[in-house]
Amino acid sequence: MSKGFATNRLTLLALLVVACFMGVGVRLVFLQVVDRDTLLKFVDRARRQIVVEHARRGTILDTNGNLLAMSRSELTLAIDPWMLVEYLQAEKNEKRRGVKSREQEAKRAEMAALLGMPAAEVERIFEPTMRSVSFERDKRDGTSDGKIKDRWVKLREGVDEPTFAKIQKLKVQGLTFERIYRRVYPGGGLAAHIVGFLNNEGTPVTGVERRLDLYLKGQDGWIESEKDGARRELAQFRSRDVPAKDGDNVALTIDSVIQHILEDELKSIAAKFNPHFATIIASDPQTGAILGMANYPTFDLNNFGKASPDSLRNAATEYLVEPGSTFKIVAAGAALNEGIVTPDTQFDCSLTSINYRGRDLKLPREDHPFEELSVAEIVSHSSNRGAAQLAMKLGDQKFYEYVRKYGFGRRTELSLGLEEAGILEPPKRWDSLTITRMPMGHAIAATPLQIHMAMSAVANSGTLLRPHLFKEIRDSKGNIVRTFAPEKREQVLKPSTAALLAQLLHGVLLPGGTAAGFDIAGFDLAGKTGTAQKIIDGRYSNSRYVASFVGFFPASRPQIVLSVIVDDARIPTGGMASGRNVSAPAFHHIAEQLIQYLEIKPVAPASGNLLAMRGGVL
Amino acid sequence: MRPPPARAFVSQLMSLTLILLVFSGSLGLGAVWVRQEISGAANRSHVIENRIADVERRLDEVNAEVAQALNPQALLQRNATMRLGLSNPREIQVVRVGESVELRLAAKRNREIFNVPTERVGSESAGGAPYTFKIITASLR
Repeated sequence: MSKGFATNRLTLLALLVVACFMGVGVRLVFLQVVDRDTLLKFVDRARRQIVVEHARRGTILDTNGNLLAMSRSELTLAIDPWMLVEYLQAEKNEKRRGVKSREQEAKRAEMAALLGMPAAEVERIFEPTMRSVSFERDKRDGTSDGKIKDRWVKLREGVDEPTFAKIQKLKVQGLTFERIYRRVYPGGGLAAHIVGFLNNEGTPVTGVERRLDLYLKGQDGWIESEKDGARRELAQFRSRDVPAKDGDNVALTIDSVIQHILEDELKSIAAKFNPHFATIIASDPQTGAILGMANYPTFDLNNFGKASPDSLRNAATEYLVEPGSTFKIVAAGAALNEGIVTPDTQFDCSLTSINYRGRDLKLPREDHPFEELSVAEIVSHSSNRGAAQLAMKLGDQKFYEYVRKYGFGRRTELSLGLEEAGILEPPKRWDSLTITRMPMGHAIAATPLQIHMAMSAVANSGTLLRPHLFKEIRDSKGNIVRTFAPEKREQVLKPSTAALLAQLLHGVLLPGGTAAGFDIAGFDLAGKTGTAQKIIDGRYSNSRYVASFVGFFPASRPQIVLSVIVDDARIPTGGMASGRNVSAPAFHHIAEQLIQYLEIKPVAPASGNLLAMRGGVL
Repeated sequence: MRPPPARAFVSQLMSLTLILLVFSGSLGLGAVWVRQEISGAANRSHVIENRIADVERRLDEVNAEVAQALNPQALLQRNATMRLGLSNPREIQVVRVGESVELRLAAKRNREIFNVPTERVGSESAGGAPYTFKIITASLR
């Protein structure tokens, strides 16, 4: 072998290697530069995927941390019947294919049993079918007949996690699933009007769910990555990973136990009196925190679809009623606050008319005939004429100012939305009789919550607060995002006047008062009955009433304000559905339970307790 | 100066090419190994993420069940079904104690130890001096 030949051979080899590299280089140029866009589109379509990570909606809790609303994952199971066909076709051995087919059939039967479905129905769903598509889209299976393999047939919705875990263990071929979060309300109908609900599309419709949706919903995340042939994510090719931010948790001021006590009482009111609607509200006078707000009719949050439109309305904030005699706290409080009367000031309540600003005005009727009554007796006996005379002493404008100060004629600004402002006309639009009728709670309309908050102002040393339902908002890690403090709206009465009025309201439950017999010894219940005639066809009815009892306890250091308002109650025995007959017993019964639950201490201990305090017999 | 022989040049070229191939091959293999490691780590973290999500889902499931079981209505139903007869106390059933419960119980225990009839508590002895009980349960102080 000559030297020249060897050199030539090596040169040739070197050139060949260089040529190979150049070939590879040229191909790379074509792949990376010339055909780049086309190939990228193809790869994008085939491998890239964007997976949305749904944020979990925050929970709604009561003041003690009990769950009122939460999200629970559920699964929608679906079948790809063609996957089963392909799985069996992949096995070339006839005998083994038969074994596999029988195994799968047994698993499907087991799955059907777990889902509570007939096995035959599951088998029918597993039958491979074709579905029609537009000709433009029909390129997936190589033919252009307008039909493609149907690879997604729904098997069952709303499958819970434990059942799904059992089904997954079976390894049924062709089974696919989609996980969704569904809202669950463990309390059923507990505080339904406050909590609110999400409709089937996941849109918040009412209540806290709607009002605090911004906090509750969280923020969805997304992952941009690639998938393999089996459509599994290739985590190493993740190019972007934006984590989902779960929704914040909202703690309410509502106490589940108190709410249940109120709802239980409403149930018995509904069973006894079959009212049009009824509402009971309990709150803390010092903070304005709503501890319970129950309405009748109500609905089950987990079955909101079956609720009637009427039952979806929050009667406490959306219905208007004439307050009736509960409104007498306005005239009495205002007159005492202005110093124009004392509790002992006497008024002639037998008068049928009175001269006011040069005109003789007819005074309203009384339920019982009265003679001379002191201011304290006007309150405890609920004298309409007495209240009218108190308002006349104040004058139209002053009286109107106090009505506004008590919060009537404007929204309470409860942070729940959907609230009526009530009806209150200014004095220039009053007729001559309004000054005699409004003090007894006619010629004005208010929501039960407005009436409740007016009484709450008396219980809170004369300060009107904004009612609130939200205690705090925490993020998913438990850090406090927002807290809610009591918000003062108005100083209605001087603290001394409020304390005096509270004592007068205690008189309502003492012998001679309109709610005599409903006091609880040692706890000084204070309140005011109300029996407002309903307006039917433009006239005041003599048989249909709004019965109410609004009060607080203990009178000297109020801890709970409680309102029971029942619209159009029907007494089976045919008696008058008055505040005394309908609402006061409910108030008394609830108060008894709340005293025990909240461990409210008596103002003056009963004799048995005194013995115990002295260390007497055990 | 004599130019280097062509064979030597080719040999150098071949050697350099080989070195380049080995080097780039090593780099490639290294890159593949690194990718494999990344892939393995990513998949492992993916599995852990899924497991965490699964545990959280199960936790939610349990929380929902606990909340349903603790719902006041459910508790009342259970009370009725199990015939427990539990109910809220009424004010008349409540005895409020203002003093230290421990001391009071200790006094009661003393009375039991010394067999002092309870009806004589607070009354006077034959000599006129009132009965007094000393607390002897020191550990309670």
